[in-house]
Amino acid sequence: MPASATLRPEIQFATLEQQGDAAQLGMWAFLVNETLFFGALIFTYFVYRISYPHEFAVAAKDAVLWCGTVNLAILLTSSLTMVLAINAAAQGEPRAMKRWLVVTAALGVIFLLVKGYEYYQDFQDRVVPVVNFVAKPGEGAAGELFWVFYWVATGLHAIHLTIGVGLVLYMLLWRVRRGEITPAYYAPLEVVGIYWSFVDAVWLFLYPCIYLVGRS
Amino acid sequence: MTIGPEIHPKRARPLPFVIAWLAMLGLAGVSLVTAFLGLGHWAPVAQFSIAALQTSMLFILFMRLKGPPSLKWVFAISGFLWLSFLYGLSMTDYADRRSWPPVQASSAPGFEAHPNRP
Repeated sequence: MPASATLRPEIQFATLEQQGDAAQLGMWAFLVNETLFFGALIFTYFVYRISYPHEFAVAAKDAVLWCGTVNLAILLTSSLTMVLAINAAAQGEPRAMKRWLVVTAALGVIFLLVKGYEYYQDFQDRVVPVVNFVAKPGEGAAGELFWVFYWVATGLHAIHLTIGVGLVLYMLLWRVRRGEITPAYYAPLEVVGIYWSFVDAVWLFLYPCIYLVGRS
Repeated sequence: MTIGPEIHPKRARPLPFVIAWLAMLGLAGVSLVTAFLGLGHWAPVAQFSIAALQTSMLFILFMRLKGPPSLKWVFAISGFLWLSFLYGLSMTDYADRRSWPPVQASSAPGFEAHPNRP
């Protein structure tokens, strides 16, 4: 007998709908913390960018623009495929749901691969503070601050995305296989979708911070 | 009988999401172009405004802020409210510093050093 046939709300909830609402609110409460976490990081960036505009403009020219742009398109597309998976779950189309989840996870992995290639290029360009860094003319010591932000921000974002890929795979290989995602109750998938799109939103702000500086 | 949270059939249609996705990709293209137009300090203003618009679309449509439970709005708005406190209170410090931005900062297109700072 599939798990969906015996799906009951947890003891503290009256209905599955109430349980789903609580799950969504829990994720939103977590994302408030994440907003402040990344918000403080970006605030620090602005303080230094306003302090050292020329140095940041020179340093940022070494950022690999095509990698950042391609990754932006990949993440926006993955948010679409994620929401299509949720819609398929709501409409009782398990095959479509699985297909869109596979595409979403694949897009997440492609993002990480592009990011890995970009990190390789960064290492070749010697823009890794402390480990392998050579300041360019006009960049000064403040240019290194830009690259510290770059590695911290993109590293934290990559960790978040890796967790997102793990959650999508967990849904696909565990919850969906056990019949726990049904039209009657798909809140776990919806919660993962909310997290996924938030990670996408973070990249929307990191993109102009890193890749669009000093291009003209 | 459906006992879980239902997505209204109209909301489950993919077309609005596809349109929003295309709009966000288009806005990303506009953001990229602004970096090469020599807009000076208006370039980051345009780029971060576009990012805010894209994020609004993501939050409202893709993260289903539009829809039950409406209490989600309280959580979402509180996040940005606390963020505005963080930015506002931090800036009261920096804006009051006579030595900020640093005097050695040279001007460049994008963010320029404040001309009246010593």
